[in-house]
Amino acid sequence: MDAYFYIILVVGLLSTIICAVAGIMKKAPNDTTILSVAAVELSLLVYLIGSIVRVAGGERMAGEAWEFWGYMATALLLPVGAVYWAILERTRWSNFVLAAVGVTAVVMAARMNQIWY
Amino acid sequence: MEEAENVSAKPSQDGAGNPAPDPRIAEQPDAGLPGAASTNAGTPGKSPAPTNTRNTGPGRLLIAVYAVFAISATARAGYQILTKFSEAPLAYLLSAFAAVVYVVATVSLAKPGRTAFKVSLVAVLVELVGVLVVGALSVFDSVNFPHETVWSLFGRGYGFVPLLLPILGLIWLYRRRPSARQA
Repeated sequence: MDAYFYIILVVGLLSTIICAVAGIMKKAPNDTTILSVAAVELSLLVYLIGSIVRVAGGERMAGEAWEFWGYMATALLLPVGAVYWAILERTRWSNFVLAAVGVTAVVMAARMNQIWY
Repeated sequence: MEEAENVSAKPSQDGAGNPAPDPRIAEQPDAGLPGAASTNAGTPGKSPAPTNTRNTGPGRLLIAVYAVFAISATARAGYQILTKFSEAPLAYLLSAFAAVVYVVATVSLAKPGRTAFKVSLVAVLVELVGVLVVGALSVFDSVNFPHETVWSLFGRGYGFVPLLLPILGLIWLYRRRPSARQA
């Protein structure tokens, strides 16, 4: 597990907690919950750029490259899709949809780390 | 001056009459949709019947989780079949079958209408049977099911969400069955 994973772990879990608490408190998606999901997207973008730099620098990953990039592309699309799905209907349940993003991103980042090393 | 006042007064009078009912109409669906059917029962003014009640409220969360599983199961099955199909054809075909079931469930849950309801009911039932049968087989007959699928060990690799999902799906479909509202 590298620093990228731990960044996503912290940001993802924080985002999940923020969104889940907002959902439990019967709030609709607001700036706080949507920005927390945006932070997850940002941390994934950092991982993306870091990985491109590492590959460009000659580093080789242990697992299949296209599997790693497949996970990366899917993970990057998740927050965007979830925010779109959440703001179409702004109810408390949409916050639980947003809460699912953080955990999923953490799981996918863990899998990406496994593929890399 | 007087003319100008008259001109400006007329639209404001019309405007004063119109906005009053508008906010009520706009507010009612917002207040009614988030699963507040029991508290809304007293107010009779709930005239606009929603065409699809399955993709609102908790249903949106259910569809979102189904979508994640549809994507991950499809990607995983595709990867397994393309790279190591000959190792365990049965397990990987099961993976692909599970992926199709998740995709069908996701799409049919999001679509309105009775046909979509029936499709999602069948998909969720197949999913429940699949996770129970494959889960049991992977426990008792680990020789023939050594390779992983979404449903192996009752979905333990995915935090038992594959086992929980069809149960929640059936509860949701039962609560929002078409006959309860339309017939």
